[in-house]
Amino acid sequence: MKAYPYRRLAGPVSLRVTAVELKVPGESREPLDTKAFSVVEQVVALGGTGFDDWESARLKLSATIPSKATAPDSGWSDVSVVAVLTEKATNARTVVPLESTTESGREWTGFLDVWRADHRDRASLSVHVVARADGVPGRVIATAQNEWIVDLSAEAPRRQRELDVVIAGFREGPQWRRPFREVPWIVDTSGDVAAVHVNTDFEGLTDLLSGSGSGVEGLVRDLLLAQMCTDVWTAVFHAAVGDLEVEEDGTPLFPHDWRGEVLREMLPDVMPGRPLEEALGEVHRRRTEAAGWIDLQPRIHFAATRRAEMPKALSTTIRGLDRLQQRADA
Amino acid sequence: MTHKPNYLPERLALLSDLNAAQYVTEGLLNGKEDVPAIALSKIVEPLPYDGARAALAPVRELVDDAMCEYRDEKPTKADAWLAPRLHATLRLNRREAADRRLWNFLALGVAPDYVVWRFLPEPNGKEKSGEAPKVAYRRFRGAHYTQAFARLWWMAELFRNGSDYRPVARACAIQDMINTVLRLDVIDHRPTAQAMVRLLDRGTVTTGREVNALAGAVNASAATLMYDVVAPDVERDGRPVQEWVEAAETAGPVPRRMLPEGPDEEQAPEGSVEALADYFTELLVDAPVRGRPATEDIGD
Repeated sequence: MKAYPYRRLAGPVSLRVTAVELKVPGESREPLDTKAFSVVEQVVALGGTGFDDWESARLKLSATIPSKATAPDSGWSDVSVVAVLTEKATNARTVVPLESTTESGREWTGFLDVWRADHRDRASLSVHVVARADGVPGRVIATAQNEWIVDLSAEAPRRQRELDVVIAGFREGPQWRRPFREVPWIVDTSGDVAAVHVNTDFEGLTDLLSGSGSGVEGLVRDLLLAQMCTDVWTAVFHAAVGDLEVEEDGTPLFPHDWRGEVLREMLPDVMPGRPLEEALGEVHRRRTEAAGWIDLQPRIHFAATRRAEMPKALSTTIRGLDRLQQRADA
Repeated sequence: MTHKPNYLPERLALLSDLNAAQYVTEGLLNGKEDVPAIALSKIVEPLPYDGARAALAPVRELVDDAMCEYRDEKPTKADAWLAPRLHATLRLNRREAADRRLWNFLALGVAPDYVVWRFLPEPNGKEKSGEAPKVAYRRFRGAHYTQAFARLWWMAELFRNGSDYRPVARACAIQDMINTVLRLDVIDHRPTAQAMVRLLDRGTVTTGREVNALAGAVNASAATLMYDVVAPDVERDGRPVQEWVEAAETAGPVPRRMLPEGPDEEQAPEGSVEALADYFTELLVDAPVRGRPATEDIGD
């Protein structure tokens, strides 16, 4: 628990995006369909809007805070509610004040403009309640429990990221991929999002993957996909842990992009029962120092297999093969 | 020493982390090898934009001038000269600047000799036996606050006050502003960045150790205090940067003696900057400075 030198506001603070409008240069603002954002997922997706040249997006916001904040005997004064949009990759920070719309001081609304050129990938949107406390102005007395994500490229508002899948022949295309022309797929972890490259030069692979057959082919396909996912999870974990920024005292930092998300997701399985920061420190120590890295491999494998739902895929395949066998016997 | 590449394409390009890695060799880090320029040019990807901003020559000439101008001085001195000029030559928006592939390409495909010149440490007798001094890997490929060119561009972007690059030159004159302050999230709020430079102007902060103490205090205080509310910035407007980017087509080379002019954005409100500068001065009184006795009589 963090200690504050002043009284904080207890109770839930929540934020909702109620509408999104796009601005294309030279035209008026165009309201977006409600499927561009999701209140359940708390994500705004600006990638599937149908406008290629949009310049900014206006998010209409609504926040709800406990009415205690503005009660006359609260001890706080000059209460304000601000929405903050940040993105680590671009060091962008936009702050807008919201306005109180009800007598009770519970509902606050406003809007925030997201400038496309200021963002690259995913920005976080949060809301804070700020007030004068014990004579000190500008104290943060409460922060919303959940942050919204503003995703610049996603077509659908989902929190969970999707993998980039590149389907191409490895004999052509980028130089680095050519030596791998004999393997069915390869995982590239160097970009903004991890990508799996599927080799169309591998004969029959695309047919197998795109087929919808329910027989043996279907079973093999599902198993193959699970195997591919296991590879991806293993690769992204190694990529994330292998490229950590380290503080001067040797403490590793969580990366800002998908690498950070991968670590937060997998570390609880790799280093069970430890707080995330500590787990990251331990994994980093084991990787860079003489001992312990080898011992960790089964745990990384376990974490990847679990996420790829490999056990489920394999049991389904085995059971499916049994059934096909029975049918053949009959 | 590592030489200027023997082949320079006409256009800037992108070089992915994966492809960059194989060219950051021990020999290059030691400043003993060159980057195979032709091979590198075959694995790069094209920029998402074209036109004057994509030309390679102006960037290379600028780097040449920096190395020539500061050949008899410490290479660190070149940062204050190069940062605003690099920013005004590339004319990127933040979306473009957040693409690490561009910085990888500048460091390996345009000016690996600059990276070695700027970051190869002088032998100081502290090396482990048999180990030659070497450039840190993160100078070629790394975060925005460590990579050789990204750090200069982001210093310029985060410390310019609208079109005024003077605060950038001021901030770059103390290496700890780049090494410590640039990585803090608090400077993403423009009045906060300007207020820190203001303390350099006022002479309240003069040494690297004081900068580090200031950074620590400002950052810690931001955990409970919202600078954006006590010292508001103007409303964000993305158009001036857009116009500045478009004006690249008609802009000549950046001035070498005078400072260039940045995007015509509204400046951080003076009242906000002053208020924060005063507040930071108070914080600094109580902040521990390495090497400064924790007594009342400081100053001499």
